[in-house]
Amino acid sequence: MNIVITVNLNGNAFQLEKNGYDTLREYLENAARQLEGNPDKAEIIADIEQSMADKFRTRLNAFKTVVVASEVDAVIAEMGPVQSAEGGARSEGAPAAAATPSSTGADAGSAGEAPKAGGVKRLYRINEGAMVSGVCNGLGAYFNIDVTIIRLLFVVLTLFTWGGGLLLYFVMSLVVPAAESPQEKAAAFGGGPSTAEDFVRRAKAGYYEGMRTFRDRDAHREWKRRFRYEMRGWSRDFKREMRANAFQWRQNWQAHWGQPNAWWFALPLIGFLKTIVTLGGLLAVALLVANGSVFGMTLPAGIPLWVGVLALLIAINLVVWPLRAMKHAIYFSGGYGGPYRVYGGPAIFGPVAGMALVVLVLWTADHHWPAVHAALLDIREHLRHGIDAVRTWWNSH
Amino acid sequence: MSVDERFSAIRKGLLEFLVLKIIAADQVYVADILRALNETEFRTQEGTLYPLLSKMRREELVDYEWKESEAGPPRKYYKLTAKGREELRETSEYWQKLGNLVKNLGQK
Repeated sequence: MNIVITVNLNGNAFQLEKNGYDTLREYLENAARQLEGNPDKAEIIADIEQSMADKFRTRLNAFKTVVVASEVDAVIAEMGPVQSAEGGARSEGAPAAAATPSSTGADAGSAGEAPKAGGVKRLYRINEGAMVSGVCNGLGAYFNIDVTIIRLLFVVLTLFTWGGGLLLYFVMSLVVPAAESPQEKAAAFGGGPSTAEDFVRRAKAGYYEGMRTFRDRDAHREWKRRFRYEMRGWSRDFKREMRANAFQWRQNWQAHWGQPNAWWFALPLIGFLKTIVTLGGLLAVALLVANGSVFGMTLPAGIPLWVGVLALLIAINLVVWPLRAMKHAIYFSGGYGGPYRVYGGPAIFGPVAGMALVVLVLWTADHHWPAVHAALLDIREHLRHGIDAVRTWWNSH
Repeated sequence: MSVDERFSAIRKGLLEFLVLKIIAADQVYVADILRALNETEFRTQEGTLYPLLSKMRREELVDYEWKESEAGPPRKYYKLTAKGREELRETSEYWQKLGNLVKNLGQK
């Protein structure tokens, strides 16, 4: 049994199987993309839809009212990829298959993919069928992986990073653009195979080939060499694509967060806190290993040392993660290295200068501002109270 | 590279000329044009033909009119305009010239 979707092809209603519908939609979206900028776009699309409608009609009768997926494939193969007839760069870039004889019957399987060639696949959010904001949906389309798997991955990631996955999702929902126009939607699904997809394909091919020649030492070496070579090529493509994406994302991010450089002063403070927490955490781990207790808290009986160490490391990460995320947020919103341009000097002096600034300000305030002095003493007091409270809670359980 | 592949670009460029010739012979609709082409080296699909026809119409080489068909919806029947006939004449002459050139070049 299959879900059936009713479509309107130039005024003719047809019932299509769900996967046939997907193929058809992709074909027509690609056609629309090919004809972008063509003044007769609407008319050509209407002609194509009408022609497809005629072809579908010949395949239906009173007792067969649904167009099945394989028939959609066959009709698309008959139609052939839509190519703009305009002169200039566009038609030069298109494959010169206009007059190449093609055996329409045999092409039925691959023809659905044919119009994909050319065009770039991009990461978009896809709102149709989304659960929250379409991030997972878009990722699924981009990597050509079932969206449920992506969602599960996000859940697992969220559990393992103590909320990091959730934060990542939130950031992506702000930064990754939603596919709105038909071209964007087509680019979200189609375009050429994404480099990521390509990578998986190549990795698989290389892997199987490698396995086959595993016993032959020379062939094995040759395989490794070629595999590495291909991977390098892929990584170049991937980087290029990521740069293109990142540029767009950065703009979106800036649009969302306004003037980010205003936050530069928070950077040293965050860095400072992060360092303190990390050092404190490492000290705690060292104490735990050396003495078997941290700040007077001993491990409950029956729990091995490594579990305690692991718990401490996780606790450290729990505190450090949001700090790091904040830092990165400030970084990237200001462009690469943006915030540090404030100092004018080489980027490496930024953190040092920032730290010095914070220490100087604290020291000055401590000495010349009694209220701050008292507050700092209070912090020590509060900290001790806090640790005491935790210790009491710990030992009482 | 086979002859077939090598000349695919040339065939592509010639497609418009051939479509002009086919339309000049008779008032035709798209399926007729496809049938005529598919008997030759110039096998073509609708995905290519529709954009080409729309371009030719914009350049005022061809025009169409709607005609009822016995079965199914009305169809667009294409015919040449005066400009299209002129274009066809010029292209035919040029093609003739090219043919002679190829034939005579290198002969003593």
